Amino acid sequence: MLKFLAAALLSALLTLPVSVVDAQTKDTLTVGLVWINDTLDPHMHFQRVGILININMFDSLLHKNTKLEYEPSLATSWKTLNDTTWEFKLRKGVKFHNGDLLTAEDVKYSFERVLEPGKEQKRSPQYGNVRAIKEVRIVNPETIHLVTDKPFPLLLERLVFFPIVPKKHIEKVGDAAFAESATVGTGPWKLVEWKRGQHLRLEAFNDHWRGKPAFKNLVFREIPEVATQIAELKTGGVDLIRNVSADLMPELKAHAQTYVTSAPILRTHYIQLDMRTEPFNKKLVRQAANYAMDREGIVQKMMAGLGKPMATVVHSAAFGYDPSVTVYPYDPKKAKALLAQAGYPNGVDITIHSAFTEFRPVFEAMAQMLTDSGIRTTAKIWDPGPAWNKFFQGEGKAAHGFYGSWGYYSVFDADAILHPLYHTEPGGWVGKWYTKVEGLDPMIDQARSILDQPRRRQIYSQIQKLIKEEAPSIFLFHQYDTLGVSKKVDYAARGDEWLWLYDAKPKR
Amino acid sequence: MTALLVRRVIRLLVVCAGVSLVTFSILHVSGDPAALMLPEAIEADRIALRKSLGFDQPLATQFVRFLGNTATGNFGNSFYHRKPALHLVVERMPTTIMLTLAAMAVAILVAVPVGIYGAVRRNSVTDHLSTVVVFLGQSMPTFWTGIMLMLLFSVQWRLLPVSGWATWSAAVLPTITLGTFTAPLLLRIVRSSMLDVINLDYVRTARAKGVSEWRVILRHALKNAALPLVTVTGLQFGLLLGGAVITESVFAVPGVGRLIVDGIRQLDFPVVQAAVFMLAMIVVLVNFAVDMLYVYLNPQIRVR
Repeated sequence: MLKFLAAALLSALLTLPVSVVDAQTKDTLTVGLVWINDTLDPHMHFQRVGILININMFDSLLHKNTKLEYEPSLATSWKTLNDTTWEFKLRKGVKFHNGDLLTAEDVKYSFERVLEPGKEQKRSPQYGNVRAIKEVRIVNPETIHLVTDKPFPLLLERLVFFPIVPKKHIEKVGDAAFAESATVGTGPWKLVEWKRGQHLRLEAFNDHWRGKPAFKNLVFREIPEVATQIAELKTGGVDLIRNVSADLMPELKAHAQTYVTSAPILRTHYIQLDMRTEPFNKKLVRQAANYAMDREGIVQKMMAGLGKPMATVVHSAAFGYDPSVTVYPYDPKKAKALLAQAGYPNGVDITIHSAFTEFRPVFEAMAQMLTDSGIRTTAKIWDPGPAWNKFFQGEGKAAHGFYGSWGYYSVFDADAILHPLYHTEPGGWVGKWYTKVEGLDPMIDQARSILDQPRRRQIYSQIQKLIKEEAPSIFLFHQYDTLGVSKKVDYAARGDEWLWLYDAKPKR
Repeated sequence: MTALLVRRVIRLLVVCAGVSLVTFSILHVSGDPAALMLPEAIEADRIALRKSLGFDQPLATQFVRFLGNTATGNFGNSFYHRKPALHLVVERMPTTIMLTLAAMAVAILVAVPVGIYGAVRRNSVTDHLSTVVVFLGQSMPTFWTGIMLMLLFSVQWRLLPVSGWATWSAAVLPTITLGTFTAPLLLRIVRSSMLDVINLDYVRTARAKGVSEWRVILRHALKNAALPLVTVTGLQFGLLLGGAVITESVFAVPGVGRLIVDGIRQLDFPVVQAAVFMLAMIVVLVNFAVDMLYVYLNPQIRVR
């Protein structure tokens, strides 16, 4: 039998091509993704992975540099004319991949494609992001006015990912072809081939207005298993992978051909507390829960240091952040004292729910910390689908609270988390079921409806002081984005989780 | 023969209805696709999406509509890919079938000779060794076998690509992985059924006639011993299709299995329904073919 097996193995090996592992040439950059978005149409999805791909093929009016400051892109300058009118000057001589010149008509068309004025059912899931825009006015071939229904301070944030698409081309080929085979933008790379389930192959666009990118070919490969991605990275099958978890980092750091780069991102963890029922209807218990949490310990011991404790849910990179509001210190004694003062000298039993399966160990550790301080916590973990029903539809809320995270929709503004988490308007997110802080709603409303940034900053500062005191959540920490990169490539992780590969360079 | 065909077609229809009902129910209790598609959107957007997908209708209405559509081969459009679900499945099907057939071939090529050898040289060192290998093979889960093979052949020795499906060489590891999953069982079946027949009178008669030993084994004994092998191979085919789900994910093979896994993760009902339905059809057809093979191998069997 051994002879047979050996013979079979040998013959199998002999029939293989000599060099089976594709030699990575210097002009190709290969990115491994867990999956590739199902459409290349940048307006018809709301998937992180789709955004990562789209930005390398399309441009928006504005861009953000690695420090996350606004930078001109298809718009060379912008200003407000009054509270509801914004003026944008368009870049001249920008070419689409098919050779057509970018016009103001294309910009207007792009907005109207998502806004679909007059239609009740909107096709684009991104409609909510720009719904404040009431009118797109072409003033002259180089000037566009965006008119909003009321003062809309988040407009510029929303325009950083709002790709401009070619009107004439889409009207000619149709939406379906544009979404998968005839995708045309103004970005650094153009589409060559998309094999669903396998790879997406792009090629440098020589007429790109920034100048052509360093890598001639950009390939996105679909590799669902993390272990497989790591193996591919080590053997040079891919040059870059995302979301390297804390346990895999040492392996990639130690390997001769790879390195790790990470950056703090907006994704903010929190435990939302039910302020309408016992025991979290009492402020002292909510504060006690905040004192019970060893944020630094979790970040260091369970997240390989790739996180940062937060004072409230307002991220330090978001507009409106007030550094004078400090993080709740870890103080179990004080937690117990507050609990006793609130009328629970023998502690209290609660249940916290979560559908955040990737962070299950962190969830369980936090439940233990609460328990150690007298808030005896049962941690219940759910599959994302049914859990959603339980929390937010069937019963309206989870008993006592839930552990979750919020990505701010990549909007670097305090409003992007305060409104969904704490505003109690019926059409809002979870605030209506959990939160009850006197005077908070009007403050959030006011800050989102004026353009006066210093004034907004003041209001947000007040809000942070108020929520630190009222503790409608257990404030936790924010995450880092971690990339594994081949040593042949020079690239640094960004704070907005973008893979802006125009910045990637071959290492010499 | 006609009666047989009619019975089989009826059975096929019953299986179709059963598979539809089961996949439909399991998917619809598993969660709300609108919530997964728009996790951070406001409630009004989600309500609109549910309406456009028809999820605002009562479940019974949805099922009747689903059955009607299925009967005409229309599984609806994928929520994510915005394409007919059946189209996506058919596009991926050849890859999965190729992988499954190749794995089956590898398994049979290993199991039959080794099994026969084990039966003929019973209790030899090789026989015992093969038993150990069988145990090992059966105790290793597919994803583990796959990752170990990948570590050895791709990362350590750099002989084969880590993953993908672009070249022939990329197909080697997934095929072996999936083959390893089924070879042990086949090997055991071959060995034990060979042992059953090898001492029967007709085999002895053949030997007495002076037929050469190999001819006795391959022509006379094997043909009778093959019956259980054919049965099990047919049954294993369905299991292999299931095993392909994991293998395809590990090796990034663009087959139906991965389509199902992604579909479940995204609660993309039409895709999962179409894929499970098509796979069920294949299993039914394979079993039908197995029944036919029976008749060829042993005309005494009257299919009732």
